[in-house]
Amino acid sequence: MTGRVIVITSGKGGVGKTTTSANIGTALAKEGYKVVLIDTDLGLRNLDLLLGLENRIVYTIVDVIEERCKLKQALVKDKKNPNLSLLAAAQTRDKSAVNAEQLKEICEKLKEKNDFVLVDCPAGIEQGFQNAVAGASEAIVVTTPEMSAIRDADRIIGLLNTKEEITSTRLLLNRVRPNLIKNNEMMSVDDVVGILEIPLIGIIPEDTGIITSTNKGEPIVNDENSLAGQAYRNVAKRILGEEVPFLDLDEPKGFMAKIKDVFAKLKAKV
Amino acid sequence: MEKGFVENGFIINLSNSKNTNQLIYELSNIMEHPDIRGKRICLKLGSIDLKQSQLLSIKALIESTDAEIAFIDTISEQTGASAESLGIVISKMGDEMQADAALNNIPEGEPVVMKEELDTEEVPSDDFEPEENEENKNKVVEVDSGIDVSEINPISTLEGVEDTYTEVSEHEISEIIPSEHYENEFERLAASEGLISNEDISKYILLDTGEVLPNGAEEHAKDTKALPTLYLNQTLRSGQTVTYEGNILIIGDAHPGSEIIADGDITVWGILGGIAHAGKNGNISSKIRALKLNAIQLRIAGLYARRNDTLNVPYVQKSNEFVPEEAQIEEGKIVIYKKLRRD
Repeated sequence: MTGRVIVITSGKGGVGKTTTSANIGTALAKEGYKVVLIDTDLGLRNLDLLLGLENRIVYTIVDVIEERCKLKQALVKDKKNPNLSLLAAAQTRDKSAVNAEQLKEICEKLKEKNDFVLVDCPAGIEQGFQNAVAGASEAIVVTTPEMSAIRDADRIIGLLNTKEEITSTRLLLNRVRPNLIKNNEMMSVDDVVGILEIPLIGIIPEDTGIITSTNKGEPIVNDENSLAGQAYRNVAKRILGEEVPFLDLDEPKGFMAKIKDVFAKLKAKV
Repeated sequence: MEKGFVENGFIINLSNSKNTNQLIYELSNIMEHPDIRGKRICLKLGSIDLKQSQLLSIKALIESTDAEIAFIDTISEQTGASAESLGIVISKMGDEMQADAALNNIPEGEPVVMKEELDTEEVPSDDFEPEENEENKNKVVEVDSGIDVSEINPISTLEGVEDTYTEVSEHEISEIIPSEHYENEFERLAASEGLISNEDISKYILLDTGEVLPNGAEEHAKDTKALPTLYLNQTLRSGQTVTYEGNILIIGDAHPGSEIIADGDITVWGILGGIAHAGKNGNISSKIRALKLNAIQLRIAGLYARRNDTLNVPYVQKSNEFVPEEAQIEEGKIVIYKKLRRD
């Protein structure tokens, strides 16, 4: 078996790389695929918190690289889904503890036994980014509809294009707020795709449930009622090659709005 | 909504929790409330299955706020068996209660705290409103029955429960250690002198103990008093590590993400929230102490124990109650001793 290694990156911090990694990973594992998540954010790890696995980490990626344990020992199994495991970053070290070659080797080993290896990339374009990208053949660029995030995403896409190993780069637009778009206060999905000019893999609506899910250590894809969870499940399906239409993010219309619509249509006819 | 009360206490309905994690999460939210201190608590657990160890953590959680479990209410056989082996009184929920609860459509996952409809004083809180009135205490009935039978028939009394659960409990006895076993020489001596009562010291076992050291570290029990001590007066933040060939004493907190590694004992005069590894070269007589042991993992010599999944940092740390806790190895497990304060 040769799995796919996908790096999740953004350039800018705080746009939701880690949330995206945790949720796509969980969604793919739920579909029955074997998934390993690698946290490459050495010194500022968070992925374990989002998955609620912090208390289970004994060995980290640095222990593997410095040969204090076997790779298999360092993989932390998810509480719920045995298909999902995490290779945690070391909190007490920094990015220089690992180099690109070593990370590539780990990815090579992991993809032999797993369907997907998702690499959660740290913010920035320095060593951490270079490490995370090293073993990957696909990339998902996460951005939010803000100028600063898009500028950084653009820079990242440029860097990814120079890497020969990366064959596909796709865009995930996070924290979209339909009502703001409607009032022209936020860039629309089309605007963003127009600027970045790469194929879209998902649109995730802003969801306050993300905060609760982070605090609880349970990815939002496990919540069947959440719109963001649904959007992440769709992203997983698109990664698997299914054609899934993008969610209609318009808020359900109230009674008055519907009446107004009817009148507007009548007017148009007249 | 059904009504019931326990003398000087609360009925906490957790039967709508979807899983144990959620249950403990909600319970610990409730236990944070000042009004719950020192109260007797009836836990309604519905059909949730709890293992002995899980119920033990719940008990420890409740007792950590000076409250105690009056009785629990469950329809799960497994929970019943666990409770029985822990010596927790069980009351069985009747079918009517179930139906009643269903009709009343209790919002999912929301803990409901009930009390007799006395003059109530609402205490604003995020997700629950305990209703408590000290003056009306004398109005309530005897605790033995646990509940006011005249008002609520649905919660049946304790009879008949034993028959239901003895069978299961025979299979279940595994982790539990009889309470006499908990006492060490010091405690026994102190108790005989009347310095402490047996109730004053509670003990709980952390879940999931496993090996951590690579093979080869030699186990030994060396007196840690002979070792030098590193004295630190600072807060350890995420990512910071302190390693010392001796004992470590920290005046301050150790935040989650920090690591303290010592050959001997680790003492934190504050909240221990990170990882602590005492006796790293295999000294199994090393201990870890803190005013609040909220460590992600405790490691002593070759063993590790991890914090319960649901006890997340945010709300455990905000507590202003500090009760010294001490962790040590006993019979191949890491156990924590805690001195309970009785007001």
